[in-house]
Amino acid sequence: MKRKEDPRFLQGKGHYVDDVTLPGMLFMALVRSTYPHAEIKSIDISEAMKVHGVKAVITGKDLEAAGLGWLPTFHGLDKQMVLAIGKVLFQYQEVAAVFAETRAAAADGAEAVQVDYEPLPVVADPFTAKKDEVILRPDRETKTNHIYHWEVGDRDRTARAIEGSPKRVRQRIWFQRCHPAPLEPCGCVAEFDTMGRLQFHVTSQAPHVYRTAISIVTGIPEDKIHVMSPDIGGGFGNKVPVYPGYVCAIVGALKLGRPVKWIETRTENLTSTGFARDYHMDIELGATPDGRLTALRVSTAADHGAFDAAADPTKYPAGMFGVVTGSYDVPVAHAEVDAYFTNKAPGGIAYRCSFRVTEASYAIERAMDILADELGIDAVELRRKNFVKKEQFPYGSALGFTYDSGDYHQTLEKALETIGYQALLKEQAEKRARGELMGIGFSTFTEVVGAGPSKHFDILGIKMFDSAEIRIHPTGAGIVRTGAKSQGQGHETTWAQIVAEELGLDPQNIMVEEGDTDTAPYGLGTYASRSTPVAGAAIATAARRVREKAKKIAAHLLEVGEGDVEWTDYKFQVKGVPARSVTMKQVAFAAYTNPGPNEPGLEATNYYDPPNMTFPNGTYIAVVEVDRETGEVTIRRFLAVDDCGTVINPLVVEGQIHGGLTEGFAIAFMQEIQYDADGNNLNTNFTDYLVPTSLETPHWETANTVTPSPHHPIGAKGVGESPNVGSPAAFVNAVIDALSPLGVRHLEMPVTRDKVWRAIRDAEAGKT
Amino acid sequence: MKLQYSGQEQIPVDAGTVWTFVNDPDKVGHCLPELVEMTVHDPTHLDAVVKVGVGPVRGKFRFKFELQPDEAARRMNMKISGGGFGSALDLTAGADIVGVDASSTLLNWSGEAVMRGPIAAVGGRVLDAQARKLVEQTFANVRMTLSAVGP
Repeated sequence: MKRKEDPRFLQGKGHYVDDVTLPGMLFMALVRSTYPHAEIKSIDISEAMKVHGVKAVITGKDLEAAGLGWLPTFHGLDKQMVLAIGKVLFQYQEVAAVFAETRAAAADGAEAVQVDYEPLPVVADPFTAKKDEVILRPDRETKTNHIYHWEVGDRDRTARAIEGSPKRVRQRIWFQRCHPAPLEPCGCVAEFDTMGRLQFHVTSQAPHVYRTAISIVTGIPEDKIHVMSPDIGGGFGNKVPVYPGYVCAIVGALKLGRPVKWIETRTENLTSTGFARDYHMDIELGATPDGRLTALRVSTAADHGAFDAAADPTKYPAGMFGVVTGSYDVPVAHAEVDAYFTNKAPGGIAYRCSFRVTEASYAIERAMDILADELGIDAVELRRKNFVKKEQFPYGSALGFTYDSGDYHQTLEKALETIGYQALLKEQAEKRARGELMGIGFSTFTEVVGAGPSKHFDILGIKMFDSAEIRIHPTGAGIVRTGAKSQGQGHETTWAQIVAEELGLDPQNIMVEEGDTDTAPYGLGTYASRSTPVAGAAIATAARRVREKAKKIAAHLLEVGEGDVEWTDYKFQVKGVPARSVTMKQVAFAAYTNPGPNEPGLEATNYYDPPNMTFPNGTYIAVVEVDRETGEVTIRRFLAVDDCGTVINPLVVEGQIHGGLTEGFAIAFMQEIQYDADGNNLNTNFTDYLVPTSLETPHWETANTVTPSPHHPIGAKGVGESPNVGSPAAFVNAVIDALSPLGVRHLEMPVTRDKVWRAIRDAEAGKT
Repeated sequence: MKLQYSGQEQIPVDAGTVWTFVNDPDKVGHCLPELVEMTVHDPTHLDAVVKVGVGPVRGKFRFKFELQPDEAARRMNMKISGGGFGSALDLTAGADIVGVDASSTLLNWSGEAVMRGPIAAVGGRVLDAQARKLVEQTFANVRMTLSAVGP
């Protein structure tokens, strides 16, 4: 089935937040700090107020006086200035908000605001931050730049196992700071209606959480807040946090009594909203001489920027980083993360991955290749030898996860056969003999998604369930509403198909509605690959509740007891008598016209609390050629074999994989948010922060295996983020494999052509 | 990003005249290229607005100047800070006034600029040339103004 939403998008009929125009609407622009760390000596708004069309300017002091100076961050360990109070902590931090009749007047007003700064020493990396020579956050009780220490696993046993291992490898691996860079930046329109109710249109991946957070921050009762998230032009985690601009727009609308629109510029989006990664990981593997893993240890310094605004669950400040043992049966392991404040933009969001899973996956997949290289074992053979075996599922990992299902050997073998691994090895050997650089890179990853079970996971204290409400109309059409929010994932198609499959109805006549907190049941939103594992499960469960109700009505129509009715071939029939049956469509009509002794109507709601996470996995293979003279890397082939459990719509899944692979390709080869030593952000637009076009993007080959999740109602695991999680390691492993004859062991991402060229030059110089 | 500049101007007047000139904030201010407006606050402080173009971005920069004369060394240090279109520029410059003879003086100058914001991100592609032009033109204007006055 083709995606139901595509005709709307392809005809330019999507409705985004910047399409919202209200009578009397004002526009907001933000004054942002030019300094990464500076005392604010004064803010002079007098010239700004003279700009034609400017109606008001608010500063941090104004907000502080109103009790709105600070905003809690999502996992509750920190708070963030809405507008700078006293000092700025990162370049492009929000300093003042200007409200004007037009967007241009707001921008001119922002330009006219004069801020007098006294520069302070800059802390631009976590290792400098660790020294505590400059304390960035004197507002906090603890006068240190250290935010938290988190660890999991058995430290002592792991240390003994590593020290006792015949073979040990250790590598510092930095997963660079990058940014989700959705093509639609963040934005909102805030309006207080005639009843004094906040009507808030916003590009949010989690509308209900926004409603609750806005209520907590502003004190507006939650029933007086209506959040509407229209079509979203990409989120990738960037639209999970509540940003200062949103609070300012609401304050402006309240203060001026007129609607206020705020739409970020590209630069604002790249420089101030949630970044991703920035993990400096020291990973160690212990192994036997024949390549059996004995232990894993990883110690990480995390750069969280000026505020700890990572949108992680409360109990998991480092997210799901504990999945760092990957697909491998590691006997003992220990992982720890120390996070630090720096003078950089805050964030640490899950960029198209479950919380910190991409960092973990990249670390273990790179380390496995390094170990294989040092042992002189084929990287495939090392993986095959250490995979968790299918008979071990449910598998308890050394770091506390219970993997639900998988058959890693099957997925690997399918990938090897599909790509023709033996022929590639032969070709590679021939090329190496000629001095040519060809690489084959693997990533056999496992991720953990679908947060999550309420006993472990919450955001701001709210448990991470999700929800669905299904109403079947008299004609057999219906509507499903969920607490999730599509940003391109294809929910309108996938949710309709789940309902249609469970109820025997036409998916074309199942409408999907999300993003409106007045109508949708409460949910935690879409990120961390949680839609299908959690909201999808809620939909299936709600549909089954509808079916239970329908069964009673069917019994009435068939004039038999409910126990004599069975659901077979998408209809209710008298057991053993196929000729006596009724369709769901007939039952739906009867639910409103002839329900018999049953309550009229046909609808159900479910709040689904998942019993466990799901564990999608896959084998990705990249084949590259490296030009020895220029360092240019050419992706010859890329194969992704995914196991995301039950596939609901193959087209949607393939689309998700293509998109995620393209992002993974960009991260591996192009993207980094760089700061210089003075704290200047050097990647502030799309000429400096590259997004691949169809010209650069390789051809993607895809295939799949299926091991359904045993605890999910339909066996689905989620797939949207697997390609972003799994692919960077495959790309980098392929490049390093190509360069390995020169003795190159590791390169940090992005693996740009100049970095590759320098590595080749240095390696060749070392040889001579 | 940090940018460093240095240069030399030969001025056909005596060192005392040059020293008096560079101690006058009004005169120094008028040597700024593309000056739009200027306010002198006291003998060592002035504010100036100048037109600036960096690549496709054109607009006005507001600067605060502080003159820091060192009479004993005949050296004029200048601290300049300001910015525009979301960017900041901090410039420290110094000029040694060296008398060659009764009718000739060398102005040996050097400066370091720190750029922050979107303009800094433009980087060396266009910024360096623009900033160099701004600084060089200022000192060249000092020379031209004094040359016009004559010995």
